[in-house]
This record gives sequence, structure tokens and C-alpha cells, in this order.
Amino acid sequence: MDPLLEQLLAGFVDESQEIYERVVRSLMELEKNPAQGTSFDELARGLHTLKGSAATLGLEELADFAHKMEDVVLPLRGSSKPLPAPLADAVLKSLDVWIARLRATAAKGDLPDLGQSLALLEKVKPSGAAPAKEKEKKKKNGKGATAAETLAANVSRAPAPAPEPTLTVVPPSEDAQADSWRVSTRQVIALLHEVERLREVRLRIEERRREIDRALHQLDRLGIQAETAEARAALLGIRRSLHADGEEASDIVSSMEDGLKAISTMPVRTVIEPLRRAVRDICKATGKTARLSVVGAEVSLDRRVLEQLRGPLVHLVRNAVDHGLETPDLRESRGKHREGALAIRVEQQGNMLFIEVSDDGAGLDLEQIREAALRRALVPPEELASMSTLQLHQLIFRPGFSTKLEATEYSGRGVGLDVVRNQIQALQGQVEVQSVPGQSTRFVLTLPADLGSSPVLVVRCGEHQLGLPMAAVESSRAARTKDLHVGRSKAQLEHREQLIPLLDLGALVGLRQPEVPADGQPLLILQAQGRRIALCIDEVLGDRELVIRPLPAEIRELTAYQGAATLARGELVLILRPDFIVAGERRSDTALGSTRRALVVDDSLTARALHRTALETGGYVVHTASNARQALEQLRHSAYDVMVCDIGMEEIDGYQLTTAVRERAETDTMPILLVSARDSDADRQRGLAAGADGFLTKKDCVSGRLLSEISAVIARRKGAA
Amino acid sequence: MRLEPREIDGVDPSLKELLQKRAERIRRKPAEAEDENLLWVAEFPVGEETYALPLETLRAAVPLRMVTPVPLSPPHVIGILRFQGQIVAALSLASLLGGRGWREDPAVLLVVDPGFGRLVALDCERIPKPTGLPHAQVEEARARSTGAVCEITLAGTRQVNLLDVGRLMDRRQGPEKR
Repeated sequence: MDPLLEQLLAGFVDESQEIYERVVRSLMELEKNPAQGTSFDELARGLHTLKGSAATLGLEELADFAHKMEDVVLPLRGSSKPLPAPLADAVLKSLDVWIARLRATAAKGDLPDLGQSLALLEKVKPSGAAPAKEKEKKKKNGKGATAAETLAANVSRAPAPAPEPTLTVVPPSEDAQADSWRVSTRQVIALLHEVERLREVRLRIEERRREIDRALHQLDRLGIQAETAEARAALLGIRRSLHADGEEASDIVSSMEDGLKAISTMPVRTVIEPLRRAVRDICKATGKTARLSVVGAEVSLDRRVLEQLRGPLVHLVRNAVDHGLETPDLRESRGKHREGALAIRVEQQGNMLFIEVSDDGAGLDLEQIREAALRRALVPPEELASMSTLQLHQLIFRPGFSTKLEATEYSGRGVGLDVVRNQIQALQGQVEVQSVPGQSTRFVLTLPADLGSSPVLVVRCGEHQLGLPMAAVESSRAARTKDLHVGRSKAQLEHREQLIPLLDLGALVGLRQPEVPADGQPLLILQAQGRRIALCIDEVLGDRELVIRPLPAEIRELTAYQGAATLARGELVLILRPDFIVAGERRSDTALGSTRRALVVDDSLTARALHRTALETGGYVVHTASNARQALEQLRHSAYDVMVCDIGMEEIDGYQLTTAVRERAETDTMPILLVSARDSDADRQRGLAAGADGFLTKKDCVSGRLLSEISAVIARRKGAA
Repeated sequence: MRLEPREIDGVDPSLKELLQKRAERIRRKPAEAEDENLLWVAEFPVGEETYALPLETLRAAVPLRMVTPVPLSPPHVIGILRFQGQIVAALSLASLLGGRGWREDPAVLLVVDPGFGRLVALDCERIPKPTGLPHAQVEEARARSTGAVCEITLAGTRQVNLLDVGRLMDRRQGPEKR
């Protein structure tokens, strides 16, 4: 193919896609409304443009094909009735073939056959309508007006098509080349990463400024004003400059981001609008009626992400109609509107994107899910019997899962939501499902967006820093004992004359047992998914504008986190999901049990991980502390069946901690196992003298040995008692 | 004309010997030829045992610092860290291997490319040392092994456990998948 023609053809494919989408939209509107007005004009203009442009490029077959579609549609202009359903169906199917053939022509692939579509169009052509070319011929022959001519006259009275975008073959000039460049996505992504780095540099500048503040403060405290006057003046100057540099860097980041956003994004509507067609088609095929409403279609997204989202969204919408919505009669009998409501809501919060696909249908049927899982042997029966509702919901994402006994055009082949989940995970996102039996099903896709930063509140919980999206934080306040209502299994806070659940962040993320906040302890009031809770934390560290990145694949399935972000000094902070937290009330209810608890105290991250591995294998719930001070704090609030403690810790070592633990009445009989990297009899004796019940070297801490030693020290303690 | 070897008259015998040794060394087959028979690995201890990773999978050895612990994560996950702009999971090798003892608290992270498009960091008690393992023995051990660890017995009954990190990770994810 001529390279120039090839280039023009690529442009024509894009242009035709837009026209195709407009024509499909118009056709669907005209199925419900009289065949007149702007929708009909849009339809006529679209078909005409497709025909004209195809002819200009020498694609005669496609031009004739579009002409045949005009022949079917145009005679009905001005009718007070909607387009007949079979006619609309035929034109829609023909349009699909038309665009597929155009794409195949551009890609030099196998061309789809037109024969079947042409036959279909011929079948639905309104009686009396003659091909436009014949009409023209008759007119030229000077024959009288026939029925066909009357129809044709109607057509000719229609407003003339708007000036069409023509594809003129003009040799590319230097100016034209300068106006637009072809840039690979990889180059744009590289630039995006550079912008992110620049944002981190901006944060570091801010950190340097704070360091200078601290240095100035120290100089002030020394009280040697005269001697340090010059140094302080210099530092103040640097501080001012850093502030100005930081502001400028911030402006540059914003402006670069805006520019890159314009280059690399498209509105979500480009993916969502075609879904109306999918809804229409499947409603026709299943005898259901549905209306799709869309909120947030104007949000612009990375083009690559959008392209990848197309498949999952089509699948979810098809599922919603086929599996979710009931037939009109059934809906009516259940007190619902005959027409089902489908909704897609798109929302971008900072650099996180949320897409919600919901329907007001029958909800997920747990019994059907169980039966399908058994029928397809996805889960052993005994495991299935003990599954919670949430776990059963998760089964619908298993490969091969389908509740349909027979495959239809739309479902039942067991290829479905697992593919959706895989595709979303490939985009480093997550997909979740929530369902209310008899009322609704809601799928929520969470995806990272490359651009933008999110406001995050950074808090401390024990020795961990964690982030919470500011969008979910309604307010903060201090705890007051008189506002707390603490029961046996749950706590509530009286807040603005309402009782709301009170949860402990440390307990939610498995760091400690639930704590009742002390007077003055900070509480956050969070709102998500229509629920409001009070969250007990240890300290508010401040709000930051952070770029949230997806977690590595090894931990991406943890539902607690949206991702992680880099703080000014380069350390990562985990960002919690507000929906995980507000759902915590239910989890904490079920988590209460009589499990054995162990406290591991070790300043080595890896040692803590290894002890956890061994102890969890033995059925223990493990809490950890990285130093003795933290361990004592944990022991003040919680009771443990055993403490495994490293000897060689900084500040307060394992011996001192053991002595301190033995001095407290609440813990004076708690079994303690000391571990050490050194294998020395002196260490062993010293540990036992301090009050430990056992001693083990780290090289002996293989799973079985550690557990048997723990059993031994527990038994010794019991024996002593 | 006949070419005679050039005699270096009046050269100190010790210097002559040195020159001869050099010539002999240069005449030997190139070092690469020997290397072809070796698999270069990074060797390090895990408790009482010696493990190794193919050097080609190793991206860096970094101090075990700036690792953010991840509450609620599986026990073999030590935390996450930033490495060259990426967020990488730091994993406990001893835990992945099924709970081994250790002699020193790991102070090093080995950033490894297991070959599935992302990096992972594995903890390590000491900075690993590069060493060569005979290819023939490696292949023989690999043929015998179906798991993530190949046991290679070297001369003097020294045993090195060669790790296949990709398989190790698969094994970790296996039960969850099932």
C-alpha cells in the first residue's frame, strides 16, 4: 500500500470509530423515539460521512456498503414511529462489520465477509424504498413520481449533511510535520517517572528547609546569639532560597503534569459510551430492559489504561444484565421498576481511580454460587460449608466459575470474572464485589493513575507509620472517657449526638489487641461506603501530598492497602483503604477467639519475620515489637501466652526486658524464651537468672525446634504454678 | 632467509625467567574458555548451610535499611523498599525455605530478578561472594532436582544449594493458587 495512503487510512480508522460510536448512539435513541430530529440527522450525517470518506480513499466496497445502510434508514426519516427493531438490529450489525472490515483493511488482515450483512439489510429494507442510485437514474429519465420517489423526496428535504471532514491527499509539508510528532508511549512514561522524581526532589527540598529550621532552633537554644549571628543570618538566607526553590519546583511539577496529562489521556466516556450498545444488545437477547446511567464519564485517563479497561467493563456490564437484572415481570412482582437500573460511576481521587459498576438486580445468590462451585469442583465440600459470605463472593472470580448450566452467547462458559480480575491486576489494580441479596450487586475497580498526587493523612500506630486518604477523613478529635461506650465485644463513641463504632487501628492491622483509647488520645472520624466510624490511633503526624504507587505483586492481594507512597526522606508509607477500615467492625466481631498469642521482641526485621513464620505455623497469633520499650507498651494493654525475646537489642537488652517483665504483677508468670545469635553458656545462665524460662540460639530456631521449646517453657511455667 | 629466535644478550637470568613465565601465561588458552565451564554464582550462608544464586539474576546487594514492614502480610514478607524507583518486596529467604535457623541477623538484601518481569529482595546474613560452580555438576544437579533448590556437592564434600528464585516464589504462591 502507498505509505501516504497507509497514513491516511490510519487516521480514517480513528475518525470512523468516532463516527461509528455516534451513529450507534443515534440508532439506539431512534429505537425508542420517533425517527426524526437531531438523532436522525446525526445518523444520516454519520452514514453519509462514512460513505464519502471511504470513497475518497478508494475503499469502494465500504462506500457501497455504507450506501446500502443509507438505503435502509433514510426512507424512514420524519416518521412518527421509532425505527423498527429488526431494522435497527440489522444496521447495528452491519455497522459492526463495516468497522471491522475497515480495521482489517488498515491492518492488512483477513477481511470479514459482507454477504451476510448485505442480505440482512436487503431483508429489512422498507418496502417502496429503492436504491438511491436507481432513484437518481429514474429522475434523470424524466419519469413521474412513484412511491419511491416520494420517499426520496423526503430524503432530499432533509437538511444537507454538514460539511464533512475530507481527507485530502496533500504531501506532508515541513510545517505539518512540526505541528505533530509521533512519540512512543515509552518515552511519555519515562517523562512521567521523571516528573515523579522531581516531585520527590521537591519534598526533599522541603525536608532540608525543616532541617535548617531545626539547626536554627538549636542555635537559639545555645544562647550564643552574638557569636552565631553570622551563621544564623546565612542559614536564614538559605532557608528563604530553599523555600523559593521548592515553590518553583512545585510549579514546574504541576505544569509538566498538566502537559503530560493532555498528551496521554482521553475521557473515560470513549470507553463507556459504546457500553450502551452492549446493554441494548443483551437486553434484546435476554428479554430484559435496562437503562445505563453514567457518572464521571468526563474524567480523563491514561489512554493505555482505558484501552485495557474496555474488556473488563464490557464483561461486567454484560454480567450485570445477564446475571444481575431480573426479567421485567419478575422485577414488577418484586416491587421494582420494570426497567433495570445499571450505573457506572467513575471517580478519581488523587492518583487513584475508582470505577463502580452496579445494578439493582437480584444480587449474588449464595446458594447458586455454592452449587456451581460444587458442580465444577472448585472447592472441596467441607471447605465450602465453612465459607463466609465474603469468601463465597470471592468464588465468582475463580477460573471456570459460572452459575449457568448451559453456555449462552453471553455467559456460561466459565470464562469471565477471573479474566476481569486478571486484567485489572495486570493494571496493578484491584476488583471487589459487594452484594445485597434481592437488591443489588456492585463491582468496584480500583486502579492507580500515573498522574497526580493524593492528599494523605499520615498517622502513627505503635512503631508503624500509615497513611489514610484525606478524602475519607471527616475530622479528628481527642478521646474523652465520658464519650466512650465500651461493651464486651465492641466499643462505640458518642460523636455529635450519635453513637458510632470505635475501632483501634493497631488491632485492625494485626499489630496488637484492641485498645480502648486513653483520655486525650487522637481519634479520626472516617467515612467510607456510607458508613462512619471513629478510629483510634497513636499520633497524627501530618497531611502530605503523596503519589500512591501499587504494592508489589507479592502483597498486592492484601485488601488493607491502596498502595504505598514515598515520604520526604525516601522511606515508604503504606496507604490504607478506607473501605477496609470501615468494614473492620464486622471483622473484629469474627476475629474474637481463644487463639494463643505470642509476642516477639527483636530489633531485626528478618528475625521477627522468621519467628512469625514458625509461630504462625504452630497456630499462634503473633504480635511483634522492635524494641523493649515497645514491648512493654504492648504488654501494658495485652496478655500473651509467651514472649520470644532477642537478647542483643540496643538501649534495653533482652535481660533487662525480662527483669522488667518479671517485676510487673500482670506478667510475672508469663513464659519467656530468650533467643540469641551467640551460643554462650554465660548468656544462657544470665538469661535464666533474669527470669527467662528458656534459651535458644538463632541457628536452632528452625520451626519445629522453636515450637517445641515454646511448648516446653509453657509447660515448665504451668508446672511451677 | 631464516628467522632465528631473538636472544636477549646480557639480560639478568631472573628477568629472563620472568619474561619466559609471562610468555607462557600469554600462550595459555584465554580465561573465557575456562569460564565457559563455570556458572558464576553469588554464594552466601543461611544458618549452617551455603546457598547460591546465579550471578546473572543478581541486580544488587544493598544494606537492609529503609524497609517498611507490612502489617497483615504473609510471614515471609519482611516489608517493602524502594529500589531504583520501584517498590520491591523484601522477603525472608530462611522463611521461604521453610523456616531455617540463622547465625547472624541478616544485614544485607539481595535484589534479584527471578525472570518474571519484576524484582524481589531476599535477605542475607552476609554480603555474598562471587564464585564459580562447574557447569557439568550444576546441570547434573538440576536434572536431579524438581524443586527450587539444587544440591551441588563440590570437591571436599562441600555442599552448595543453588537457588532457583522463580521456582521458590512459585512454590510460595502455589498453595494459595490452589
